[in-house]
Amino acid sequence: MTHTDMDPGTLANVQFRQVGKPLTRTDAPGKVTGRTPYAGDYVMPNMLHMRVLRADIASARLVRLDVSKARALTGVACVLTADDLADRTAATDIPGQTGQKRLDTDQPILVRDRVRYFGEPLALIAAETRDIADHAAELIEFELEPIPGVYDTLEALKPGAPLVYGRDNIVAERKIRKGDVEAGFARADLIVENTYRTPFQEHAFLEPEVGLAWVDENDVVNIRVSTQVIEHFRPIADALGVPHNKVRVRGALVGGGFGGKEDLTVEVYLALLAKQTGRPVRLEYSREDSFVGHGKRHPFILTYRTGVTKEGKITALDVNMIADAGAYVFLSPYVILYALVAAPGPYRVDNLNVFAKAVATNNMYTSAFRGFGALQACAAYEQQMDEIANTLSIDRLKLRRRNFLKTGEPMSTGFVPPSAIWTEQCAEKAWAGLGEPTASDGPIRTGRGLACYQQSYGRLTFLHDTSEAWVGVEMDGTVVVRSGVTDIGAGQISALGQIAVEVLGVTLDNVVIYNSDSAVTPLAGTTTATRALYMTGNAAKQAAEGLRARLAERAAQEFGVTPDEIDMAFNEVFVIDRPEKTMPLVDLVRTCAAEGIHRSELAIFRAPFGDFLDPETGQGQAHPDYAYGAHAVEVSVDVETGEVEVLKSVAAHDVGQCINPAAVEGQIQGGAQNGQGYALSEEMLYEEGRLVTPSFSEYLMPTAMDMPNVECIILESRSGVGPFGAKGIGEPAMTAVAPAIANAVADAIGVRVFEMPITPERVVTALQQRDAS
Amino acid sequence: MYAPFELDIPTTLDGALAALANGGGETVLPIAGGTNLIVDIRAKRERPDRMVGLGEVDELLGMEFGPERISIGGRTTVSDLLRSPEIAHEAPSLIEAARLFGGLMVRNTGTVAGNIASGSPAADLVPPLLTLDAELTLASASATRTLALDDYYLGYKQDARRPDELITRISWPRLPENSANTFYKLARRKGDAITVTGVAVTLSVADGTCSRARIALASVAPVVRRVKEAEAVLEGQALTPALIDEAAEAAASTCTPIDDIRASAGYRRHTVEALTRRLVTQAWDRLA
Repeated sequence: MTHTDMDPGTLANVQFRQVGKPLTRTDAPGKVTGRTPYAGDYVMPNMLHMRVLRADIASARLVRLDVSKARALTGVACVLTADDLADRTAATDIPGQTGQKRLDTDQPILVRDRVRYFGEPLALIAAETRDIADHAAELIEFELEPIPGVYDTLEALKPGAPLVYGRDNIVAERKIRKGDVEAGFARADLIVENTYRTPFQEHAFLEPEVGLAWVDENDVVNIRVSTQVIEHFRPIADALGVPHNKVRVRGALVGGGFGGKEDLTVEVYLALLAKQTGRPVRLEYSREDSFVGHGKRHPFILTYRTGVTKEGKITALDVNMIADAGAYVFLSPYVILYALVAAPGPYRVDNLNVFAKAVATNNMYTSAFRGFGALQACAAYEQQMDEIANTLSIDRLKLRRRNFLKTGEPMSTGFVPPSAIWTEQCAEKAWAGLGEPTASDGPIRTGRGLACYQQSYGRLTFLHDTSEAWVGVEMDGTVVVRSGVTDIGAGQISALGQIAVEVLGVTLDNVVIYNSDSAVTPLAGTTTATRALYMTGNAAKQAAEGLRARLAERAAQEFGVTPDEIDMAFNEVFVIDRPEKTMPLVDLVRTCAAEGIHRSELAIFRAPFGDFLDPETGQGQAHPDYAYGAHAVEVSVDVETGEVEVLKSVAAHDVGQCINPAAVEGQIQGGAQNGQGYALSEEMLYEEGRLVTPSFSEYLMPTAMDMPNVECIILESRSGVGPFGAKGIGEPAMTAVAPAIANAVADAIGVRVFEMPITPERVVTALQQRDAS
Repeated sequence: MYAPFELDIPTTLDGALAALANGGGETVLPIAGGTNLIVDIRAKRERPDRMVGLGEVDELLGMEFGPERISIGGRTTVSDLLRSPEIAHEAPSLIEAARLFGGLMVRNTGTVAGNIASGSPAADLVPPLLTLDAELTLASASATRTLALDDYYLGYKQDARRPDELITRISWPRLPENSANTFYKLARRKGDAITVTGVAVTLSVADGTCSRARIALASVAPVVRRVKEAEAVLEGQALTPALIDEAAEAAASTCTPIDDIRASAGYRRHTVEALTRRLVTQAWDRLA
């Protein structure tokens, strides 16, 4: 169910013909009919099948690795170990595109002597069939000598703790020092301090990591792969030791990313074996491989100490965050930067100290996941708001209203977001959307919760992010868009089409979009950080506008008017308010072609370029802009068994401007599910670093039977820095869901479970502890 | 991924039993839905030399609703149960268990006999069937015998079925007038989840007293089992909250749960007590 709410003040004078309508996405028919090939559907003649052999202990020394029997097996084409590789690593820092210097903590491609996490790759096998590759894996003999590991961030920080690498286990530290926190606490009537814990989370995309690589006649390594980032061609080339123009990454429509296909996954393994064997090689992860084959969401321990007045005005906030980075440094330094910036949430806090630390352990490495640290911060700051409200006996929405950051005010880093801040409108609509309360019934108690958020869209400004798109019009008036952007299932390319046809006045069935080829589509950057619509949408709009300007100039000449009197709609070109002066677009295009007028445009969009935040104060501009919204839920809790059921789930987000409301709703529905699993049921359990929940029978995402109807309330402030005033919804859709559920559970049972997931057992334990005290 | 095995696909029950009888020294396993077995073979927990596919043996299908007893073929799928109005009327606990059983694809394929024979302590159809006093027909090429489901399990993943036997039918007596038959599946999510604590209760009331009580528990012992200690507290009594508490405590104290990735033993014991109390109370309140 979707409602679209527009601000009356911004409604006037904006009329769209294609944008803002729930059009059938360009990628929908192929997916619905099964014609769309995903990366795993591609095969080649003479193709080999790969398998990765992994360590089965989390912390160990590799004493012996003997692959001779595997190599001797009939049908095995190649077995690679670290001894066969030049001493190279694969990039783990800052994916794609940027010239940013990498950290020097990259993971070795294969284990040379030290195993640091369960599942770390020991050897690569390529064979004529998958069965032979599996058999070869069984023939490889290896001996791991266990080394004491460390599996808990607090343990890892203690003196004498086993070292994962380096001098200590601290991966990165960041801080904000703003205002006068001591003075703020002195002014407070009440100080509330709590510690919240958030768990690992698995991306659990439908399509596990998969790819096909081959070396072409120009000695270029081609890789068809399921990825969010085709611009990994650069680190792949570095890992192979070949020039960057000798690697070509071709994407495909992706069966889900969520940040889990932001880092390299199978690409380097494929490239190495394609190079080594000279034959096409295919690698597809099983679900169990996928669970150990890519980084997880960082677990956080967040301690919030908040000073408030009796009236509920926050006077000071001190936050300490510890994130589990796991065994290698992937994006942890940036994840804690997001958490740092997001620490106070969408609230005005002038006296603010935040300290965030990423800590190495021998757990699975952690990296990007929808929400990217800011989500973990939201899990804490929104539970803390409810704890403050309960302590002060103030209405929870009222407490938030007293503290909301308003449009034009400075956020945590002192930066004033350029767009409208509609948190309050969103909160009110989400809360009201819950309707009449459901009554409690015996041991089944109902409760409600609300959470608001601030989530960036667009990458960190110090990365100097850019995106390119090409738009052209064919001789028959149809439109072609080319852009390297990867489509990870949210309708990224369809949105580009909708933007281009809006500008060029054609209908969506007249556009074809080519994307995701690092060699032939203009490079558009990553599909991460809620940036694809913002960055590539702006690039496509600029390209389409450049093309339109040339077409309009020629049409104006034809009609004897000025170009600003020309409009283009529904495949016609006409003079505004002069219905007799019209011509089909195709005629105009033919005229342009005959006269050699350029019928295409390549544009680059540059995000605001900035510097690092001040290392001492954390002040400056971290991101281009921020999205705001709220999620409200009603739950029932069985106080005897601890089971939680989400009865109602209402989302209200200011998306700036919908490009396609149906696609926006899809993101919101998915975010509600993703956040509900994070709050209640998804749990990655490790024993001494070994994952004991490596499949979907143990790792429990909400099913259709667990999800309520999700109500989507879309607000449009038209104030964002994306195309037509759009913001972003990919990450924001999820950010506030889990704390809203946590707050609803606490409301239902009168006691809080401070650690997610809120399992039935944790609910029962919290109730028993309360009753005992 | 799969170790190779031979596959027989007989079309008659006699053919299937003959195939199972001629094992020699080989490991021969019958396979119907395969929803457990295929997973186990893939994980190399089972390594059959030969499998006997039962998918063509129609004698293992069919439900019979006699005046005294209800009987269903071993190959009845979980979805078959859900499509049967008679089962819904006669054995609501079985429908509740079937409704929350696996996912739709597993329900469409997984069979009642397979669920029983898998020997899982978390088998969802078994607690309801135990409280219905179900009886199994076990057939081999040489003989056919009947066995109470209550006597079927010998220990963790150990059962009374000989390797050459098939569970051909499952039957149980119709419930007396004034009976309640319920099941509660407690799991970490609603759909497609392994049971943390399963409780089935069948209560019959005559002349103001509980004439018959059956309570069976899943996932809290090496096998699915009845808690006769708790049943004995209730039978022959006019139930009171104190008696029901006593029965619930007896159920909790006689079960033998373990800690696993889904829950701790302590939590399981706590929920056995709470759910036994709840289900018995609801049944009694409805009947008395």
